[in-house]
Amino acid sequence: MAEKLKRTQLHEWHREHGDLVEFVGWQMPVRFTDIREEHMAVRDAVGIFDTSNMSRFIIKGSNAREFLQTLTTNNVGKLNVNRGHYTTCLNEHAGIHDDLMLYRVGDDEYIWVTNAVNGPKIHAHLMKHAEDFEVEVADKSRDITMIAVQGPMAMSLLGKLTDQDLSEYGRFTCNRVKLAGYDCYLCRTGYTGEDGAEILVLDTPFTEEGKKRAIGFWEELLKQGETLGVRPCGLGARDSTRLEAGLVLYGHELNEETSPLEARIPYAIKFKVDPHYIGYDELKRQREEGVQKTRIGIVMIDRGIPRDPYPVLFKGELIGEVTSGVMSPLLQKGIGLAYVKPGLVSSGDLVEVDIKGRLRKAEVTGWPFYDPEKYGASRGV
Amino acid sequence: MPHTRNQWCTIMAEGSKVPEELMYNKEHEWVKVEGDLVIVGITDYAQNALHEITFVELPEVGSTVEANTECGLVESMKASSDIFAPVSGEIVEVNSQLEDAPELVNEDPYGKGWMIKIKPSNLDEEKKALMDSKAYAEYTESE
Repeated sequence: MAEKLKRTQLHEWHREHGDLVEFVGWQMPVRFTDIREEHMAVRDAVGIFDTSNMSRFIIKGSNAREFLQTLTTNNVGKLNVNRGHYTTCLNEHAGIHDDLMLYRVGDDEYIWVTNAVNGPKIHAHLMKHAEDFEVEVADKSRDITMIAVQGPMAMSLLGKLTDQDLSEYGRFTCNRVKLAGYDCYLCRTGYTGEDGAEILVLDTPFTEEGKKRAIGFWEELLKQGETLGVRPCGLGARDSTRLEAGLVLYGHELNEETSPLEARIPYAIKFKVDPHYIGYDELKRQREEGVQKTRIGIVMIDRGIPRDPYPVLFKGELIGEVTSGVMSPLLQKGIGLAYVKPGLVSSGDLVEVDIKGRLRKAEVTGWPFYDPEKYGASRGV
Repeated sequence: MPHTRNQWCTIMAEGSKVPEELMYNKEHEWVKVEGDLVIVGITDYAQNALHEITFVELPEVGSTVEANTECGLVESMKASSDIFAPVSGEIVEVNSQLEDAPELVNEDPYGKGWMIKIKPSNLDEEKKALMDSKAYAEYTESE
């Protein structure tokens, strides 16, 4: 079974230092030391994550903008060169085929970074539509290593790898830079709520040399970050940090039956776009007529951790179910995301989570779950 | 992913302690007979695999349980795992210390991290389904 699992360029390092688990067909580290320790490194200092299990597609061609606008919901026309945005790719019924980061790296060149679980599905989807637009779609997942550097000290760490002043690159920019001698894209984005970057390390294919280069870059981050308190982080801290930030995960909050309006990710969808994307009409109808369900945050009042798919009750009536949950290292309480019938509850309301037959009290909240003045990218701003 | 609660199926485990005097089931629980009671907890292998345990939900004292049915829950930062009753009987005591200190299960799984005491109703018969330490050690290696 283990032989069939996919691995990243950093696998040998993970095998030596981490607790490996299976995650959607990939063999990945769930932790290197303690999940809570890794989590707090991201909140207080800096953590590095191997995110190379995500797929990276390069899309080129004079019709690339039209192609991407047909397939994604954010406004591609407003995406300037050297910038990235969060967006979704819908099916005809406005269900989410995938959520992704789209970076524009040239006039007619874009990088599409997609969920590990959706890689093959999205590749097929892109190839199917590429012909109509005469664009070139190249799967570069196995040639590029992707490492997220996240936390309040993330940019200080990256600054140590170059003579260049990185402060000119603001949030959501994406630029080609040399870091520790490696040719990289520095994407000022992330999935933890914290400041930082996602680094695409180019020329790191699945050859002995390529893997050595990838591990070399990873170890350089650890070496240069030692005095800053850097920690290598696994999937456990990736899940707990994204949940504390209230960020959605495909397969939990997002799927083919859930629309971005229901998921409450309004920043990913625009209606003044040309051409209209797949799923546009249905999404517009939902906006006018209302949605079937809506995403909420919950914080446990009683003991316990809300988990997928525990039922959520309000005044004794079943109103929905939990899609993700974790023990929040910052709050020291169980937190979760859930989908419920719209219009019934709002922040501050008390609901009950049915944890294996025992009803436990929880409060409805928004996100992030942490105090944004103390944690996250906008702290102290 | 068949069950979300097992979203990460462990495929590697460190070496772990298997005390000889205990009996074990396939759910990685240990069973100790003490007088007319049975003490139950999870094994070192199980606590290692779960790692940072954050919450333990135990059955209510006075309730009765059937062998091999769910009677509680262990939550860790990594995953959530059910507790199964290894034998049938009445729950006579639960380790209430775990409410405030679930980490005791990590620190001392065979001692302070014990979970429930059962007054067994069919021990002689149900004991036959349990493994001795040697069989359990082999079982964990084969997993």
